[in-house]
Amino acid sequence: MAFRSRPISPPIGSKHCDDPKLDYKDLAYLQRFLSPQAQILSRKRTGFCAQCQRELKQAIKRARHLALLPFIG
Amino acid sequence: MTLYEGMFLLDNQVVRADWAKAKGLVSDAVTKHGGTVATARRWDERKLCYPIAGKKRATYVLSYFELESAGIAGLRRDLELSESVLRYLMLRVEAIPEGEAEKSEAENAEGFSFPVPPEDDEPEATPEPRPAKGAEKESAAKDADEDDSDGEGEPVMAGADDGSDDDRKQEEEA
Repeated sequence: MAFRSRPISPPIGSKHCDDPKLDYKDLAYLQRFLSPQAQILSRKRTGFCAQCQRELKQAIKRARHLALLPFIG
Repeated sequence: MTLYEGMFLLDNQVVRADWAKAKGLVSDAVTKHGGTVATARRWDERKLCYPIAGKKRATYVLSYFELESAGIAGLRRDLELSESVLRYLMLRVEAIPEGEAEKSEAENAEGFSFPVPPEDDEPEATPEPRPAKGAEKESAAKDADEDDSDGEGEPVMAGADDGSDDDRKQEEEA
């Protein structure tokens, strides 16, 4: 896959950080932030602030623990 | 008392046998350690992203319960020892989400019927062919050893015979 130098836009616009709703049960939303190999995308790709990126990481890892998301795609 | 959100993966074989009993596994474990279950419902039945304990499918039970923090360790120990609970995740939450109580009550109603889990969570390999394959390999290995031992013996003997024959021929010619 070609490397994208430009960050993708945040899914809820720039106001996402004001009202983060990251839940490990919202699989369709979390899967948008996984690469084809099921790796967590970097902040550069997600466009999240540091706090929201941490919450995203935590939510994805909780979903992985419950086998809702794969460790390796 | 602290409010917790718990997600539990239940073995489909237990769910298929008796849903009320499977759901009771979680509720009983919480009440055993002095907690009270606010809501408990079937969240989903789905294919796992990776097999857990040989199971490819499992039923997810979402529960909100109040429990003293001292009881969490005992609850974790019981869940770890239980073979029916494949995985669990317990998180401290501020409040029960809206609509959760209604969904739980709807499930507890008399007319509620949940879809029976499919049967494709059986282990792939049956235990019977494994010993047969091993026995074949062992017998094959023994045969190979015997062949090797025969093979090793023959050239030496043949060589010795050949040599003796050559000597005899030389003697006869002389």
